[in-house]
Amino acid sequence: MRYAPPGDEEQLMTGQAEIRVAIASDGDIVIARQKGRELAAARDFDKTEQTLIATAISEIARNIVEYANSGEITLQPVEHHGRAGILIVAHDQGPGIPDIDLAMKDGYSTGKSLGMGLPGARRLMDEFDLVSTPGKGTTITMKKWVR
Amino acid sequence: MPVPILKQGDILIASIQAALSDQDLVRLQEELSERVGRSRARGVVIDLSALDVLDSFATRTMRNIAYTTRLRGAETVVVGIQPEVAFAMVQLGLTLEGVATALDLEEGCAMLRRETKSS
Amino acid sequence: MAESNRASTRAPLPHELEINERDVARRKEFLEFREEDAATLRKLNDVAQKYADPVIEDLYRHFLSHEETQAFFRDPHVLERVKRLQKEYFLRLTQGDYGADYVANRLRIGTVHERINLAPKWYLGAYNFYLRAVAKWLQETFAKKPEDAFAAFLSLMKLVFLDIGLAMDTYIFARDSTMRKQQEAIRELSTPVLQIRERLLLLPIIGVIDSQRARLITGGLLEAIRANRAKVVVMDVTGVATIDSKVANHLLQTVMAARLMGATVIVSGLSPEVAQALVALGIDLTKLNTVGDLQGGIEQAERILGYRVVQTGTEPGSSQLPA
Repeated sequence: MRYAPPGDEEQLMTGQAEIRVAIASDGDIVIARQKGRELAAARDFDKTEQTLIATAISEIARNIVEYANSGEITLQPVEHHGRAGILIVAHDQGPGIPDIDLAMKDGYSTGKSLGMGLPGARRLMDEFDLVSTPGKGTTITMKKWVR
Repeated sequence: MPVPILKQGDILIASIQAALSDQDLVRLQEELSERVGRSRARGVVIDLSALDVLDSFATRTMRNIAYTTRLRGAETVVVGIQPEVAFAMVQLGLTLEGVATALDLEEGCAMLRRETKSS
Repeated sequence: MAESNRASTRAPLPHELEINERDVARRKEFLEFREEDAATLRKLNDVAQKYADPVIEDLYRHFLSHEETQAFFRDPHVLERVKRLQKEYFLRLTQGDYGADYVANRLRIGTVHERINLAPKWYLGAYNFYLRAVAKWLQETFAKKPEDAFAAFLSLMKLVFLDIGLAMDTYIFARDSTMRKQQEAIRELSTPVLQIRERLLLLPIIGVIDSQRARLITGGLLEAIRANRAKVVVMDVTGVATIDSKVANHLLQTVMAARLMGATVIVSGLSPEVAQALVALGIDLTKLNTVGDLQGGIEQAERILGYRVVQTGTEPGSSQLPA
């Protein structure tokens, strides 16, 4: 099952080293978002965008801890048509999400959501892609571009 | 990493110094709940000015703290939310509804003093 | 290729424009610029040394005899320095190595031209002058073998067109960046936050609100709340073009973000008709503190802050001071 908005597939990777953060406990959530902020700052995102990115990472990382016990978040710089950006991939081998549409339902306006933080994270990032197979695991790919 | 909690008159002030893990936040909630009960404080100010991220868990914890301390007769004010953090929170749909907020420690204490005066 | 650097503080470097090794290779291929061309040009280096000075002198005589290009060289120091750089470039054309460094240098030129406002027409005109000057000395040098002169000229033309292409692309990119920055500056100016009393801010919103502008407005307001330690904000929306559900949500977000910083927001200028329409659309306006007009909004704000405005009873414009 896949949830992904239509997007431009062309991308240039800068070939720079990616940063991997193992996620197994709640302390790792803080590490992941701090590393995310550092990389965002290095990519020239402004303070507000750095906070958006760090917050989105926090939500995704917590999902891993809460639903999958352990997983990994990878942070990488990316570029597209001269714009700098950041790529974040969260992967776990947890139980997966049985109903993605429900999980992605934006309860923002009504104040109700499943509390998985996914619609929130999606709102904070420019691109958001989720692949989940029940029993196998979940991979979330998010990107944000410098304005 | 425990959060230092000071007592100023009948107000408890919790100054968060650095990023807190989920466990730290839960511990803070328990600590404040216990202290309010023990010291019969009338108000609690939680200073978040050192935090660079306030995600859904932290927000939920703040709401829980406000709720449990209210049950024990104290009003809680959350202060010091930075502009970028406030921005991210509303984007995420986190509103801290039902929790009093103020700009900083000074304003938070002033607000509580007004409340306790009038009650 | 060049290492990664920040885009905001210096000239755009190759990777930001996607001018990487692959792109340069494609450009060379399209121009059919091959190893033989590089070899041909290399062989010309000795002759180039001989002709460098006269060609450069001619070129600058040409610049100085035209008003528009003369303007760039009023300072004799600048003129000397540029002539020196130009000579280096001239000799570089026949050095035979047209890799990463060569390309990086060409890209910097484009940014410089944008910065000093040297329009493409002069830059291209100058290149044309260059090519004609070189054609002449090639003709002289290879008087006995005109085919060689022609072959050398063709190789040089390919290289020069590579240069022009690179410089033009950076010029355009730099131009776009400048325009984008100007647009942002204009956007920021259009949503000022005014402190009208201590702890009281006025945010008059005029025009169309899209999500980008909403973001700027919210960000600007939150910063102003912090800087002014504001407790109350009067957000006047009288001048907002259309308030549909999207705009209403943006406004709600601004209000809620301000509240997180301990500031109360009074929304003034929301007409009853618009308010009704929004409620019908399902927007929860109960969270909003609304007042009919700006004056009412400011009065309410002052009340909240504990101000009491009293009219002194003196005629406006009279010379008598209030008691």
